[in-house]
Amino acid sequence: MNWILPTGKPINFGGLSQPIVIKHGLGSGTQGQVYEAHYCGEDVALKWYFPSCIERDPSLKQRLIESIRATSPNESFLWPMALLYSNDKFLSMPQNSSSSFGYMMPLRPNGFIGVYEHLGSNLDISVQKILCSCLNLSEAFHQLHLKGLCYKDISIGNLFFNPTNGHILICDNDNVDIEGRDLGNVLGTPGFMAPEIIMRKAKPGSNSDLFSLAVLLFRLLTKHDPLKGLLELKIKCMDEPARRRLYGEDPVYIFNPEDDRNRPDPIEHSAILSTWPIYPNIIKDLFNQTFSTGMNKPELRALTGQWNKSIATTLNHRRTCTKCYQENFQDPNFSYSCWACGLKLETPIIFKTPYASVVACEYNELHIHHLDPTACISIKSPIAVVVGHPSDKSVLGIQNLSPYAWKVLSKKGDTIQLNPQKSCNLKILQRLLTHAGPFEILKN
Amino acid sequence: MSFPKVQLSSRPLHFIYICDCSGSMAAQGKMQSLNQAIRQSIPGMAEVAHQNPEAKVLVRAVSFADRATWHIQIPTPIDNLIWTDLKAGGITAMGEALELVAHQLRTPPMEERALPPVLVLISDGQPTDDFNSSLKLFMREPWAQKAVKLSIAMGHDADIDVLQKFIGTDLDSGLPRNEIPGESGQLPLKNIYKSPSKPLIASNATSLAQYIQWSSTAVINAASMPATRQAGESSGISNVHLPDLPPTITDPDIDVETLVW
Repeated sequence: MNWILPTGKPINFGGLSQPIVIKHGLGSGTQGQVYEAHYCGEDVALKWYFPSCIERDPSLKQRLIESIRATSPNESFLWPMALLYSNDKFLSMPQNSSSSFGYMMPLRPNGFIGVYEHLGSNLDISVQKILCSCLNLSEAFHQLHLKGLCYKDISIGNLFFNPTNGHILICDNDNVDIEGRDLGNVLGTPGFMAPEIIMRKAKPGSNSDLFSLAVLLFRLLTKHDPLKGLLELKIKCMDEPARRRLYGEDPVYIFNPEDDRNRPDPIEHSAILSTWPIYPNIIKDLFNQTFSTGMNKPELRALTGQWNKSIATTLNHRRTCTKCYQENFQDPNFSYSCWACGLKLETPIIFKTPYASVVACEYNELHIHHLDPTACISIKSPIAVVVGHPSDKSVLGIQNLSPYAWKVLSKKGDTIQLNPQKSCNLKILQRLLTHAGPFEILKN
Repeated sequence: MSFPKVQLSSRPLHFIYICDCSGSMAAQGKMQSLNQAIRQSIPGMAEVAHQNPEAKVLVRAVSFADRATWHIQIPTPIDNLIWTDLKAGGITAMGEALELVAHQLRTPPMEERALPPVLVLISDGQPTDDFNSSLKLFMREPWAQKAVKLSIAMGHDADIDVLQKFIGTDLDSGLPRNEIPGESGQLPLKNIYKSPSKPLIASNATSLAQYIQWSSTAVINAASMPATRQAGESSGISNVHLPDLPPTITDPDIDVETLVW
């Protein structure tokens, strides 16, 4: 790899008050190169653009300046922190010019990996953690859209996630723009671009973001592409014109209820047929809304707020089958059989509030938004988690993750104090009084 | 209690090196440089393949000297690829090499559905057989037409016209697309910019290694999982949108001295 910026020595960039030391290159893409660097006692990342990229995208600098000023929508973005200009020293380098620039951003912490690791089945990960990543993803774009911004290039390549907790990081935020202004050249990534963008009938914005977001969610949840069915099998060589046909000229959702031309093939598309039964209708309906109704009507696509609500509810309903241990996500208030083995699922214990029903299943969490309908749906800071007893995993308890002491009302009518980090056996529990409000415990 | 293990829907991506092993490759360590460049590129290629679970990258290699032969005959998953060094000696049966590849691009043995194959022709000289007839045979194969064809000239003695004919029309030359260069009788526009639709001229071992690396990583990526698209790009002209060449590679049209820093 040929790295443009010199490593190991302090460099004074325009735009920074202190010198920065480039430690080493991290990666090189079509736009530029990314480095790990040291600045003011902290490890940071630095992206430096190729002159060809700057030439192609004259408004890049303006968008970056505005993004830096707007600050990150939430902690899921590796958002630009400072713009860096080349100084005189770089003028002598033909790879740079006086107009070269880049930006500084947070360094991707350890533990975050590319989404392809999940798609390639290299990970042992629960469906719950995938759903957590999906919720963090839709929540991140929810915050971005609420700020009046759009991302324009949502794809697998721009997303990292932590398989242990479902946290995500969205990188390559340099196409972010104010919705509707259309400054910049980016169209998106084939396979994720909305049909109206491929066909050049519209410019990328929040409506096309909603399409790309749904594709990414679909691929995370099912390991399949929402438009790859029988029509894909008719394509011999999957090249640019073929992709244009499949995703742009005649895009058909594989489960479109009114158009069955593109159903999955049982052998070639086995992944979708194995994973689709996992999910409840509240998720499937939003995919249908986006890819059937919303395919050619961008304004009708499922919104980020709808995704947040449906994915959060799906997580609340998670329970495991007592026979095959697979995770199930159907509404616990109705009778269902396990999607994997067909066993009739038992009626679970439920933490109930006026706004949510959370199944008492190991690793399920309680959140502020279960108690407060005005709170943002967020799973970043759970207040409690269902845990198995250390010596007998079949005995379930609820652990207080908040910094406050809670009260527990037992079946006998006793009140017990539940201090932070302490857990209480669910068997004795009738009511859980948290600092943010009460959960009623419903049992079969 | 883990995500169901499923078989991802994927397509094969055939990557074929077509390597000149004629006697002149023995001079100035060129053969060793090529062996080294390919060997060095394997880990990066494996990483790209790993990141594209929907593409099954399969590698083969043809060598040509007095005769063309398969150096790696079985399409080999990149993780299992062990590069045995090529040896130089003989004349330049480049046309025969194309015919050998053409046989493999027929269906069968080629799968019915695949990603565009990537073919990389590397040469330091002129074909000694009837290259033009072989090229015509080769180009009759639909998968040859669909393939991403790249060529790398090792040094300035390579026959650039021949390498250009293998790639097809330089898209920036103003000539009609999909014609074998020279056939229309029109003169191409002179443009000095390097581009993947022209032969890449490796004037030293470093630039050879970079071109090999670019072909086996960025191009594989482009053929399997397309990257971000910008407005105004020439999408639709080519059947695979090729990434920019790495900007730091020494361009033969620019004074070498200016690139040293």
